[in-house]
Amino acid sequence: MSAPPSPTTPAHRWLQLSARLYRPLLLLYPPEFRRSFGREMEQTFRTCCREALREAGAPGLLRLWGNVLYDLTTSATVEHIRAWIALFKRLSGLEKELHMINSPFHLEFAQLTDIGLKRARNEDAMTTVIPSDQEALARRGALFVVADGLGGHERGEMASQLAINTISDAYYRSNGDDIAAALARAIHEANTAIYALSSQQEHEDEKEMGTTVVAAVLRGETVYAANVGDSRAYIVRGGKVQQITQDHSWVAEQVRLGALTEEEARAHQKRNIIYRCLGTSPDVEIDLYTESVQGGDALLLCTDGLSGLVSDDEMAEIVEHYSPQESVQRLIQRANEQGGSDNITAIVARVSLA
Amino acid sequence: MTRKEREPEALLPLTPAVFHILLALADRERHGYGIMQDIAARTNGTVRMGPGTLYGSIKRMLADGLIEESGERPDPALDDERRRYYRLTELGRRVLQAEARRLEQLLRIARAKHVLSGAERGGA
Repeated sequence: MSAPPSPTTPAHRWLQLSARLYRPLLLLYPPEFRRSFGREMEQTFRTCCREALREAGAPGLLRLWGNVLYDLTTSATVEHIRAWIALFKRLSGLEKELHMINSPFHLEFAQLTDIGLKRARNEDAMTTVIPSDQEALARRGALFVVADGLGGHERGEMASQLAINTISDAYYRSNGDDIAAALARAIHEANTAIYALSSQQEHEDEKEMGTTVVAAVLRGETVYAANVGDSRAYIVRGGKVQQITQDHSWVAEQVRLGALTEEEARAHQKRNIIYRCLGTSPDVEIDLYTESVQGGDALLLCTDGLSGLVSDDEMAEIVEHYSPQESVQRLIQRANEQGGSDNITAIVARVSLA
Repeated sequence: MTRKEREPEALLPLTPAVFHILLALADRERHGYGIMQDIAARTNGTVRMGPGTLYGSIKRMLADGLIEESGERPDPALDDERRRYYRLTELGRRVLQAEARRLEQLLRIARAKHVLSGAERGGA
């Protein structure tokens, strides 16, 4: 119907200016509303501007702005009031939803794994455990685990599956207040189980069985993360990603030493070399991290099939703008658009206040 | 998740914004801008819905199960941007009918009392 104005015309400059002015105004809406509809509203607004300019030129655009500003103030107020009412209902127990005891936190999550485009089998595994018992949830928190198996034939799958099952069982079997120590013990238990399984194999080459693992416990306002290998945990906050875990890989070491950039590491031929792995020796060293979380933060756990192909900025952009359900789909879609060279797994969990 | 069976009447009366959006989607699925265009065209430009009111209503209509997303694709008439399309659900269609019937009843009363044939007062 209408071709976009060419980049040099005043009309195009008006359009760009309008779009730039509109974006920060969306901050007036509650975060949850912005995440669901912000993109679409910007898109719709741009089309409105273009059509107003086409029909009535600059006066048309000014009229549109008048309408939009009026609409913005009234509808933003309505959305805030509704968000407060929803929060009040949740807090007062009028609406039963999953939230942590003694805190207004509310958890929304999604997980997805995909074989990618180049591999014959999916050796990734993942699990999310959210105790339905409120008391257990408050005491032990919610657990997220992602593992990337290595070994070929069915051995990679066996290793990653055994890792997630052992860790989730062992973690919720444990007691005591030290969450990080309990998580580390659960991962040690998984290491022992995989090592025992690989030792039972008859042929020497079948003993090659291992897996990476990244696990995170979200309890109250704290996330406890642990990793072995190059699967990662991130926090996405305010449109930025913050990597919680450090990879145990050759390229990550080079990046830390300043010998490679993140970009070079992604493309490096040695990017698959990891120097720590679960199940290949009787003992394993585990790194532990503790971070505090705020309402609106999202926790992202993934295998290198995602983090090796999609940049931090892109991941942040997707997780910031979409629900966990839609985020995991888009993250995997993006990795496949980038070649899908490995299996891809992502868990996104969002902590919200309303 | 279980959704309770809801009687359309329980959701009446509708706000003008919700009624207009349901009407816009009555004949076909549309994206957000398409809904705005349809409303403006049907009302000769007297009703102009802003993006905030539109998406605030869409959010609640999705939650109430009146409409659903029907996918994302570009609109060939506009540009090559992918847009999210919305369509009526069965409940949405029944709610729209019930609201139209309710308004028809009111209109019949207004006619019987000769409200419309009286002095020219202009539309409200």
